[in-house]
Amino acid sequence: MNKKLGLGLSIALMTTLLGACGGNSNNNNSAASPTNAAAESASPATESASAPASEETEPVTISFMHFKSDATDGIAKIVEQFESENPNIKVDVQPVKFDDYATLLKTKLASGDIVDVFTLNAGSTTKLYKDGGYLEDLTDQEFMKTFDPGVLAEQATDGRNFIMPLNAGPIAVFYNKKIFADLGIEIPTTYDALIAAAQKIKDEGKTPFALGWKDGWPLGMWLSRDFPSNTVLVEKQTDFFDKLEKGEAKFADNPAAKTTIAHALDMFKYGNKDQLGVDYNGAVDMFAREEAAMMYMGTWPLPDIEKKNPELFATGMGYFPYPFSNDPALNKLEFNPDASIAVNSKSEHKEAAFKFLAYLASVPAANTWVENVKTLTYVKGASTDIAPAITELQPYFDNGQLYNSQVFITTTIDWTTQFSQYVQKVFFNKATAEDIIKDLDDWVAKNHK
Amino acid sequence: MESLKKTIRREMWYILFLVPGVLLFTFAVILPFVSGIRYSFTSWDGISRKLTYIGWDNYVNALQDADLWTVLGNTFKYAIILTLLVNFVALLFALLLDSYLPLRNLFRTIFFLPSVISVILAGFIWSYNYSQGFPRLLANFGVDLTSPLGNPDRALYGLIIIAVWQGIGAPMIIYIAGLQGIPAELSESARIDGAGPLRVFRNVTLPLLAPSVTINTLLVLTGSLKVFDLVLVTTNGGPGFATEVIATFIYKNAFSSFKAGYGMALSMIFFVILVIVTIVQVTIFRKREVEM
Repeated sequence: MNKKLGLGLSIALMTTLLGACGGNSNNNNSAASPTNAAAESASPATESASAPASEETEPVTISFMHFKSDATDGIAKIVEQFESENPNIKVDVQPVKFDDYATLLKTKLASGDIVDVFTLNAGSTTKLYKDGGYLEDLTDQEFMKTFDPGVLAEQATDGRNFIMPLNAGPIAVFYNKKIFADLGIEIPTTYDALIAAAQKIKDEGKTPFALGWKDGWPLGMWLSRDFPSNTVLVEKQTDFFDKLEKGEAKFADNPAAKTTIAHALDMFKYGNKDQLGVDYNGAVDMFAREEAAMMYMGTWPLPDIEKKNPELFATGMGYFPYPFSNDPALNKLEFNPDASIAVNSKSEHKEAAFKFLAYLASVPAANTWVENVKTLTYVKGASTDIAPAITELQPYFDNGQLYNSQVFITTTIDWTTQFSQYVQKVFFNKATAEDIIKDLDDWVAKNHK
Repeated sequence: MESLKKTIRREMWYILFLVPGVLLFTFAVILPFVSGIRYSFTSWDGISRKLTYIGWDNYVNALQDADLWTVLGNTFKYAIILTLLVNFVALLFALLLDSYLPLRNLFRTIFFLPSVISVILAGFIWSYNYSQGFPRLLANFGVDLTSPLGNPDRALYGLIIIAVWQGIGAPMIIYIAGLQGIPAELSESARIDGAGPLRVFRNVTLPLLAPSVTINTLLVLTGSLKVFDLVLVTTNGGPGFATEVIATFIYKNAFSSFKAGYGMALSMIFFVILVIVTIVQVTIFRKREVEM
């Protein structure tokens, strides 16, 4: 009996081992040809020119990994349309939750697992991957010419475009019109007015802000916008983040740090019960059930709210810019690029990948995107009709009262996560604002060793 | 000499069967470990293809890193409380389920069930329970409860509750097996000599159960020192670093902060700590065991 078991086990072991070997050798083959990939990437123009010739070749599959996992259905629709137009190309879509995306992508690339097309955020992350040699230069591609030169310039890395701008959207405060009307609250244009409104709502026994801070990113997203906005626009420390990266500036010398911590405390105070126990979905639920009056968020919960409370979605909710300061002239509408698209420089199916990008840059695909994912897109001529609540922001678009606080952040170190964890200590009186500012400076110093 | 050769020839067969296991261990454990040691002496960011060797800098920085000590404190607090609780509860259940209880097989299955689901799932179920389920249920009785995971003072205990709920299954089975291995005549003769149930447990059952206690504390302690998945899905180290443990700390350094080299150095330090803890624990417990 025992012998048989032993034999069985060793066979099982052998099989796994052999299986693992097979997997390895595949990986080695693909990873062992960086020179080929480099040679190929040197002539992207000729490659795309030869694309029509290879039209009748056998079907290829390209992998597409993205961090818009809450928009999986919408993206599936776009991919379906693309596949029906290009029967020779299959797209293997891999949606990943945003919090895990960076790690997964990095691990896949470092281990030689080739993802042909993937989403990236413009800025420091793109630069890291570009410096690692993983990104194909897209500057000369035909489909890039359909985008606004200003947008291309903003998303360029070292003067060249390695990512294709895709979607963008405002990040502002959703509010419940009924609660605001019942309490006679005007849309606040200054920070003090916002907090006064919150106080009024709280006095009525309602929840002013739906927070969802159990997940890391909602707090981080708010923090990484309130802080740079106050740093650059209110305190006029325009080169703070440059200096921070070089180790020349300190949070202690930036009054905006204290302002942001004070704002965070206000948010926490006027937030829902169990601020750090409820996650993003819980917060959206709370807003959709009309239990909370306001929610600081991008446009992505809109499909969810439409499903949960169509009436609220259609007429009951509005959207106003988050007033980070007490100067109404400064409180413009935060408008950020979201996902941009990159092609892997080691991809074996670049032509197919370029076709996919060209399709994403076309108006029909952009319209499907707008309709289903409910974010705006950079594609010219695409619809802007994402939700009734957004039309309220039209004056801001028309008057160009937009700004992007993310261009202020030039650091590659991830101080946001650290800041959001430290600030939670202040919520529970585990540390004072001074303590955590010192901790932050120590942490930054440690990261420059 | 002749016989030695014969023995070698006879034993060769066994070595052949060892080869797959040894190969697997070499490629899956030893090689990554060795390359990890190499990376720990570099300032690698996890992406770039260049390696810059910086000597012992990572280790020096790590030992001066105040966060490392806080994180180690959290880890040991979690591990020690969990080890004591899991073993106590598992032993209690084992004693109960080893006695002549009606439906004891059903109860054994029920208490073992949480161990079958994955930690990730348990984490999600419990964060939902904590933030939605329990507060709504208890609201009916007028109790106002917030999720322990959202409060730095209680988050670690919130995690321990989940881990106990999930972790008692395997130790319980080991204890039941241990209890069944104890000859009935020993406790019977103790009873005839006039020992009460507590005395029997303390002087007969527990000493004979010592091997099970050793293996269970060892498994639970080393397992809980390495806890990662549960923390990542429930609190991700928050709020305010209250539940940051060494494994998530290493992960965040290596991946989120783009300091793979530093993360490797931290891993090596953690490895040394784990080895020391295990050796100390085994020597202490081995001394107390009773051979039959």
